[in-house]
Amino acid sequence: MYIKKSLQFVLALLLSLVLLISPACTSTSTAPSMVQSYVIADPTGDWGYPSPYLRYARGPGYIRSSFIFDTLIWRDKSNFTPALAKEWSYDEAENAYTFKLQENAVWHDGTPFTAEDVAFTVEYLKKHPDPFVTLVGPSGISRAEVVDDHTVKLYLESKYAPFLYEVAGTMVILPEHIWKSVDNPMSFDSPETVIGTGPYMLVDYNKAQGTYLYKSYDNYYQGKPIADQIVFVKVSDEMVTSALIQGEVNAASILPEMVDNMKASDFTVISCPYGWCAKLTINHKKEPLNDKRFRQAMAYAIDRQSMVDITQRGHAIPGSQGLLPPNNRWYNPNIEQYNYDPDKVRQLLGELGYELNNDGYLSKDNKILELELITQTAYGFKDVGQFIKDNLEDVGIKTNLIVLEGKSLDAKVETWDFDISIYGHGGLYEPSILPKIITGQGFNSARYTSNDRLNRVLEDQLHEMDPDARLQMVQGAQALYAEDIPAITLYYPDWYWAHDGKIDIYYPDEGVASGIPIPLNKSAFVGK
Amino acid sequence: MLTRQNLITYLVALFIILTLNFFLPRMMPGNPIIAIYGDVAVVQMSPELEAELTERFSLDQSLGNQFISYWTALFQGDLGYSYAYNAPVTEVIFGRLPWTLLLAGLALIVSTTLGILLGIESGWRRGRRLDRSLLSGMVAISGFPDFLLGLLLLLLFAVNLQLLPLFGAENAYSGLSGFQRLMDIAKHLLLPLVTLVLARVGGDYLLTRNAMIGELKEPYILLARAKGLKQGTIRYRHAGRNSLLPIMTRTSILLGLMVTGVLFVEVVFSYPGIGFTTYEALTYRDYPLLQGLLLVSTFCVLTANFIADLLYSRIDPRVNYAH
Repeated sequence: MYIKKSLQFVLALLLSLVLLISPACTSTSTAPSMVQSYVIADPTGDWGYPSPYLRYARGPGYIRSSFIFDTLIWRDKSNFTPALAKEWSYDEAENAYTFKLQENAVWHDGTPFTAEDVAFTVEYLKKHPDPFVTLVGPSGISRAEVVDDHTVKLYLESKYAPFLYEVAGTMVILPEHIWKSVDNPMSFDSPETVIGTGPYMLVDYNKAQGTYLYKSYDNYYQGKPIADQIVFVKVSDEMVTSALIQGEVNAASILPEMVDNMKASDFTVISCPYGWCAKLTINHKKEPLNDKRFRQAMAYAIDRQSMVDITQRGHAIPGSQGLLPPNNRWYNPNIEQYNYDPDKVRQLLGELGYELNNDGYLSKDNKILELELITQTAYGFKDVGQFIKDNLEDVGIKTNLIVLEGKSLDAKVETWDFDISIYGHGGLYEPSILPKIITGQGFNSARYTSNDRLNRVLEDQLHEMDPDARLQMVQGAQALYAEDIPAITLYYPDWYWAHDGKIDIYYPDEGVASGIPIPLNKSAFVGK
Repeated sequence: MLTRQNLITYLVALFIILTLNFFLPRMMPGNPIIAIYGDVAVVQMSPELEAELTERFSLDQSLGNQFISYWTALFQGDLGYSYAYNAPVTEVIFGRLPWTLLLAGLALIVSTTLGILLGIESGWRRGRRLDRSLLSGMVAISGFPDFLLGLLLLLLFAVNLQLLPLFGAENAYSGLSGFQRLMDIAKHLLLPLVTLVLARVGGDYLLTRNAMIGELKEPYILLARAKGLKQGTIRYRHAGRNSLLPIMTRTSILLGLMVTGVLFVEVVFSYPGIGFTTYEALTYRDYPLLQGLLLVSTFCVLTANFIADLLYSRIDPRVNYAH
């Protein structure tokens, strides 16, 4: 009886094993074999189905759809390059851009691409907003005019300087013949959603395993792509260097500590043009932080070079107090950087009436000066918080350090329930980011609107179509911001990718599309 | 033992837990819309977009309305829409669940079986060499946290010896099918499985060993020996079987924790599953997904308890008389 029972048990076990594996088997029904494929590793894996409305609203989500879909113009290392538009011109009087479109561009299903598709996309995106492109408001397009089959004219809502960068270079064009009957883009997930004009077509997307398979579209109007296949796989940060060395993966982002290792193993290591910063956000509505001299004192008190050496182990550069990093072409090198100077701290705080008491803390009217610094564990900000606390206490500012989980911290900052806190954000390429993070109302922003001159110049530079004039304004904005210093830029971290050289991938100077700091520019895969 | 009272107890427990499942995610601080899109600093959410998203996910409805639609949807088998993953919750969970079941389920079966067998043998030979070495070995291994074990195994077998894969559940797009594919999946499964088994087996082993030692003192074992029964029969059919009760309890508890218990192993081995999904849902405050995941967990726990209840009376009939 026991033998029979245990046999039953074993059989049941085998059966359940088969049942368990079979769903996994059916998830990739047509799995082609590897031929000339380029494998890219990513620690997260799943960034959504790479169609315009189902991709995740984050850089890597956009990148995965950018291989399939084209924009009007694109960008290589430093310049705008033709994409679906081969030429473009701006008419100042009409405030309109005219795009002459590629004549031999074809959708992946064989339908020819025309100006109708562009006009349709503009109207569709206004009805169904895409997180990456805002078509209403100052950056908006008031109307799209089809001049002929291969010419389209876009009339802007207002004179908007970053239009080419933010809209023409980011907005993917949708095929009218497929999307005109789609009323609810969020639930449209048939294979037709990934019909684009781009150099690659999607073959498979496995959500659970976080893998993507693309095959090249040989009729691409800019030429046959170099790699027959692109594969994205999910690999943890710890294993990615081994995966590169063992040849399982061709390209991946690597930790700064691994750079020398990778170079020694004959890999090409590329570094990201700084576009992300860590910031000390200040509640400038509260005393004594509402006085700019106090904020300036804090800036002098924090030794940012030392912070980089210690908390970032040298893999970063100190932040510029005008926000934009030194490699940025809009950078103003002539602003006050508040280099570490404890004497200046004493002087400024003395002006405000603070004196050191017997315990070594600054106090005024018998009240000790005390600040609450909230930080989060992400991005290694706990160490940064500890460092800032040490710096501030060295000059006598008593600081209480509280570590919160990311979203709890956001909630406190959003409601102004904080003194100082540590934040990080990207997008430091195009100056259109400046109003968003200085006067904007998002919690990533300094939310500083008390300086009228600064407000005005931030708004004006968005509408200044002459690049030289705009440069003056942007540099002026940086100077004003540095003077008032509503938030302190701490550092810009180093980011690296390593690849085996099969394809010459590179970081565009100002990010991919609207500033995505990932070196997966499809131009590299078409040999441009 | 299945009685009407038992069943009602389970249903009431289910109701309370499902209600808590609804409220708990909403008690966490932070607006979910900002939590999702906040990182994309370049994207300044236009008021129109924010309004559309709020409306789509019913975040502006009163708590009462949300509660009612939660229950209606549950009965229709619709677990809602995950805004972090841009897909229905059922699709997100059940797309990944098979992998977790495969890994965690198999690990549970193997570690329990191994723990029981080793515990029985060890208890039988108490104080002798095999017992001493097994005991010290097991205690040593159970001191390691699962992710550390995983990393060590990965470093040894995948990086240094290059015998086993570095990541994934199978070779992506390798074109394998049938038996070859099963072997590929098995190869990828081996290290995570061994990690989880090593992390868990210690507990089962110690429980069984202790229960065994207690059982062997009982008079009926002396009788069995006197009757001249084979050693194996005494060890397994008599003493071993009666030592299973504490293991039953532990296994049913572990079954319930199966879903979240694999998180670290998933991260270290880049293995698909719902452990990491749960962590991400928490980070993004994705309420529908969190509710769906908690529901799956709840279901696992209650089912495990139910099965344990049924099996108790089979293993030890004395519990029937305890009521």
